[in-house]
This record gives sequence, C-alpha cells and structure tokens, in this order.
Amino acid sequence: MRIDNTHRVWAWASLVILALSIVVYVTYASSAAQGPRGGSAIGLFFGIVGFAFMLFAALLGARKRVPTWRLGRAQAWMRGHLWLGLLALPMILFHGGFRFGGTLTRALLWLLIITVFSGILGAALQHYIPRTMTAEVPLETIYAEISHVRALLREEAERAVEALCGSLGVPRTSEGELQRAGGFTALRPIAAAAAAPLRTSAAVSAGASAAVAAVPEIVVLPEEASTALRRFYLGEMRLFLEHPKARGQRLADSATAGSAFAGLRTLLPAAASAVMADLEDICDEARQLTRQERLHRWLHAWLLVHVPLSLALILLGAVHAFMALRY
Amino acid sequence: MARTRTTKKLAQRIDLNYFKRPAPLKRARFWLSVALPLLAVLWISSRGFSGDHRVYSSGRLSQAHAVLERECATCHVQQAGAFSAKADDSACLACHDGPIHHDVSPIGGIHLACVECHTEHRGQINIASASNQACAACHADLTGEPRPPHYSAHIRSMADGHPEFAALRGYGIYYNGDPSGIRLNHAIHMKPIRRGPNGPNVQLQCGNCHHARGAAPDLMYSDPSYRSAVVSYKDPTRDFTIYSNSLKPFRPVSGRELMAPVKFADACAGCHSLAFDERFDIGVPHDEPKVVRAFLLKKFQEYIAGHPAELRVPRDPSRDLTGKPDAPAFRMLTSAQWVEERVSDAEELLWRKTCSMQCHALSMRIKDSDRPPLVIPWLRTAADNRPVLRPLPEMVIARAVQQWMPHAKFDHDAHRGFSCVSCHAKALTSTEASDILLPGIAICQTCHAPGPNHADSRCSECHTYHDWSKRKEVTPKFTLPALRTGGR
Repeated sequence: MRIDNTHRVWAWASLVILALSIVVYVTYASSAAQGPRGGSAIGLFFGIVGFAFMLFAALLGARKRVPTWRLGRAQAWMRGHLWLGLLALPMILFHGGFRFGGTLTRALLWLLIITVFSGILGAALQHYIPRTMTAEVPLETIYAEISHVRALLREEAERAVEALCGSLGVPRTSEGELQRAGGFTALRPIAAAAAAPLRTSAAVSAGASAAVAAVPEIVVLPEEASTALRRFYLGEMRLFLEHPKARGQRLADSATAGSAFAGLRTLLPAAASAVMADLEDICDEARQLTRQERLHRWLHAWLLVHVPLSLALILLGAVHAFMALRY
Repeated sequence: MARTRTTKKLAQRIDLNYFKRPAPLKRARFWLSVALPLLAVLWISSRGFSGDHRVYSSGRLSQAHAVLERECATCHVQQAGAFSAKADDSACLACHDGPIHHDVSPIGGIHLACVECHTEHRGQINIASASNQACAACHADLTGEPRPPHYSAHIRSMADGHPEFAALRGYGIYYNGDPSGIRLNHAIHMKPIRRGPNGPNVQLQCGNCHHARGAAPDLMYSDPSYRSAVVSYKDPTRDFTIYSNSLKPFRPVSGRELMAPVKFADACAGCHSLAFDERFDIGVPHDEPKVVRAFLLKKFQEYIAGHPAELRVPRDPSRDLTGKPDAPAFRMLTSAQWVEERVSDAEELLWRKTCSMQCHALSMRIKDSDRPPLVIPWLRTAADNRPVLRPLPEMVIARAVQQWMPHAKFDHDAHRGFSCVSCHAKALTSTEASDILLPGIAICQTCHAPGPNHADSRCSECHTYHDWSKRKEVTPKFTLPALRTGGR
C-alpha cells in the first residue's frame, strides 16, 4: 500500500493521540511516587489502549480472509492497521514505563518491537517496491508462473537458434511437461501456443497473422557462423535461461550481455540479425523475471516475520493481561 | 528488431489455475503462523504448569529479596476463594515488623502502604531506598497539613526545596553557634604555628587532631603520659536530639561515619603544656579542677618536704610598691603556708591563662557552698586568719557535637577521598569558637545532584524513615534448603 495523501487524516490523528499520550505519560511519570507502573490506573489505561490497537491490527488478517464482510473498506482497514499498529508500541512502552520487566513482559515487548519494526519495513517496501517493479520490470508476470515462463523462453530461444543452425541436439521439454496437470489448463493448448515463438519481426512486417508467424523461418547459416551461434547458445544462453541466478554469467547483466551479443553479431551474416535481436530480447525478459523474483521476495518476505510474531504477540499478550489481574 | 507481444500471447503463457498451487512464501507464512503461536503457548503453559510462576513476574526482585525469586507466594498471598493474589502489607510485616513512616499518612489520613514507597519488581535495586517521588508525594506540599513548624512545607528533592541544615540556620540549640563549649581558633591552627613554648614551627594537618571514631588517632602531637593517665571525667560526647517527635538519630554502623571528639592527650598535649611551676617539668593532669588542685597540693607538699630551705622566701624587689615601706628581706613560712602560696600561684596561672584563655570556658563564680564562713573579726581565731585556697572554678567541659544533623546520616568514611577543607573550607578562616564549620547544603549539592556524572541525591541517601528501635521481632519461616530448591 502506498503511503500517500489519503493517509493524511490517519497520520494526523495518530500524531494527536501520540502527543496527548506523551503529555499524560510525562505528567503521570513525574508525579508517580514509585515512577510509572503498569499496574497503576494510568499504566493500565495505556496497556488496554495498546492491546486494543494490537487487536485491531491483527483483525486485518481476519478481514482479508472474509472480504465479503461489510465492515468498512479494505483500504481503511489497512490504514488503521498501519497507524494504530504503529501507535501500539508507544502505548505499551508508556504502559510499562519503558521497562522490559520480567520474562513474559520482556518477551512481549521484544515481540512487539520486532513486529512493529518489521511492519514499518514492510510498509516502506510496499511503498517503494511497486514503483520500482513498474519501472524495472515492464515484462512482469505472475510470480508463481515465473519458472514456467522462463522454460517457455528457453524453448522459444532454442527454436530460434535451430532455425539458423539446425537441430541443436538438446533434449526438448515435452509438451506434456509444459502443460499443467488437471483442470482447465490441461485442456488448453498452451504448450503449442507457447512453443511457437511470439510474432517475429519478419512476420509482423509482412503483415502476417499470429498463426502464420508461428511458422519458423528457416535460414541455415554457414558452418563457421553456425558454430559460433551454437556455441554461444549452448555455452552461455541456455545456461543463463536455466539458471539465471548462477554467478559469473555475462548475460545476467544488461551491459555485458549487450557486449556479448554485439560480438556475436560480427560473426553472423545480416540474415541472422532478426533472430539475434529476438535472442537478446529473450535474455532481457529473463533478466527482468529474475529481478521480479528478487523484488517479490523483498515485498513479501517480511511477512514471514511480521505475521507469525504478531499472532504470538496477541496470544501471549492475552496471557499477560489475565495473569496481571491475579498478581 | 524486438519481438512483439500481444496480451493474448502473454496470457496464454499463464496457467489460469496458478493460484490453486501453494506458493512457497505463502506456505511458509502459514506454517510459521501456526508454529510460532503454538510454540509460545507451549512455552507459557509449560512454565505455568511447572509451578514456576516467575515467568509472569513484572521484573526482577530487589537485592534484598533476590533469594525469594522463586517464592512468589511468600508475598503474593492468595486469600481463600479469591482470584487475586496481590502483595499487601501483611506480607512485608511478616519479616519487617517495624513502625511505618508516619502513623497516619498526611495524605488525607490514608494508610500509607509499604509499596507506596518500596516497590518490588523494579530490578536489583536497593528497595530500602525510596525514590524522591515517593517522598515528594507528601513533602512537596505539606501546606495545610498538621505538621511540626520546623518542617519545610515544600521539599521535592535535595536540589528542589530542601532547606539549609538546621545548624547553619541557627535553629534551636545552634542559635548561638557551636554549643560545644571548647575554645579554638581554627585559623591559627591551620597556619604554621610554633610547637610549644620552645618548639619549632609546624604546619598542622586536619588529621593531626581529627579522626573517625573507628580509626586510630594520629599521635604526632600527643603526649604519652597524658594518654596513659586515668581521668575522672567521662568521654565528652554529645548527641543532640533537637525535635522531640523526630525519629531516633542515625546510629553509626562501621564506626567510621562520625568523627571522634578531639582529645587533649592525643592532639593537644604535644604542644599545649599544662606546666604550672618552674620547679617541675611535668604538667598538671588534664582533668577537673578538684583533681588538679589535689595534684598540685601533693606535688608541692612533696617538694617542700625535700627542700625545706625554700621556706625562707627572699623578698622580690620587683614587687616592691612605690611609697610603701619595703617588706622584710626574708619571710619565713610554714610548710602549709608555702604550699598554699605555691598552689594559689599555680592555680592562678592555670585557671586564668592556660585553661581559660586557650581552651575552656571557666566560671570563677564562687558557689555558696564553697564560700568561707563569715566570722566576726573580733571573734576570729588564728585558724580563721590563715590563708585559704580560693574556691574552685566551674569548668564547662568540652562536649563536641558528634552529629550535627540528627535527622540525617552522614558518612565521613565514604567521603575519605576528599580533603577536609574542600568541604569544611571555613576552617581556614574561622577565628571564633562559636563558628559552625559544618558545610552548607550547597557543598553537598556540588556532587549530590540529579543526572549523570553526579552522586546519588535521593532523600534516602541521608534520611531514614522508620524508627527501627521500635521494631517487633518476627518468627523466622524460611529454611535454607527450601529456598534453594524453591520449596517451603
């Protein structure tokens, strides 16, 4: 969620609540005979408010699971989660008088600190990464399908190279493997469609339809040029398409990849230039997918910390509240 | 030329059921969301069911109670049928049965619970030391409360509202200054000074005369004969309790907190000779006048018995008065007369100069009981005409103030790293015996102030709140093995 002008009301409200809380706390702490205590009336007030904020923030998960509930807009819930969850930390610090206390309270406070700061990190990531994704990954695809799309790219690249050099002699991924098992997908000829290259430049310039363009153009290169291309594809490009994250690959970087393709073009006849452009484009798309994977992990990995810890926090917080009534 | 992509082509690459397959991140988040709360519940349950309730503690116990860390029930006594098990005064009084700070709290007569000032679970603190806020809760504003008039009404901390020490304010017995009765010019003694009538110049240090009670005195200016002498008076000490309703004054623990009274034998005799006659090279005892007189009589009687020729006393031309007929060249005295005259001369020297001028306040008033009986002249006998010794003076025995601040405790030993005059600077310039050389509170506040780089300035540093002389004995209820194992 982007933190923009729509957050202004929430931000101001949070600031006002925080300022009021600070005033109350400072007044109370400076006059309390034994310093601020969680068990005093004001300490309990801060504790209850802080825990209520935490509960509200935690309810976002439930609200997301049941989107049909008519309990306000999802965006409002998200803003409330963000700002009230953030306020929970100072409220609980005021509750405990900035002391960590005993074992359970110490654990609770650390859980809260980690949860809140992971949330802040997540909010920052969700603010910036989508823009970065839009700018750097125009060919963004569905994250879960990245490995599949990458395999299709490799197939497409192999067909393009084979169109110039003849058969590469590499095992081809079967169409069945490319198809998803079960359901509607199995009935769709996606493998066939994917196996065909996207409309080539030659076909588009000739005004051919996509179906026509699916027929590969066969241009057999001289032996010397064919060997260079074959060696490049099998030695570098195929490895890159299969293992894009392996270290030391020229094609993993756009600048070095451009140099590699420029060097190869000098060895090939002009007739191969369209295919070379397609291969370079495929590498670029593969690089974007790698970038997307990385950004996606940044965008969502913090939730691995934030969500489980917040649930543990709510549970232990309830235990703390119950036992505090006893002692 | 770039490859061209149509939306349809791109869409055909995607499996429309992709969302049905578990994504690794989502799957990991789900299992972590199950496992972590479960672990938390298991952890808290295991601690709870094991009977070790320390996990619920809001903080470590104080140093004094650290041994009770596992013994929650010692203080958190649960009443039958009640859910709550909060600690109350009865738990404290089970071990510390002493009087509370005030019988009735000044705050509207509300009972002042122990925890109002001594709060537990605040870490390994000294729980006996109440915080300033605890004191200020009442003492910051005693306006309108029934209180003794000598209590300041607005004391919030040592730095805020604490009055100057009573002695320096001239309150009560300090109205006329130092009430100890000794005469001493500190300024003279702090400069190079001659050691005795014929001694060299010396520079005295404070420690040559003053020392903590528990410490050995510096004997540089002592006299062994006086140190070994038995005196008839008691050790001159004085504790002032200036307020009848105050707590008992602080009692020293280590013996080095308070300074010992300065003794003549240890600190003065090395310079101040109590010589009384040129015939003797010893001084009179440092004792009460009657003891001194007995000593003098004995010494002169012994002397004249060994020197009968001195009964023939030649006229002293320097004492002839103009216009008066010259006295005979010699006077023949009896032994008794000679002794009386010598004792009178010696006492004149001692009472008028040596003692009175230098150290002690003497009253030469003659008590009625000491006056010689009035005898009508024509009825006088020879015995009545015999010279008699003058009545003994009343001597004000020096009783140095041992504790200038009866409401507070001060430990000289804790401040031994500082030179005496850095606090008692007035000692360098004080010429009057009545000067009170106690440092003012501003001197204390130089170090004892709030904030870092300062010594503690809490009220409890100096003040005590409970009169432990009135404590009640308690019945022990713990055993060492039980505490070690967490049992009872």
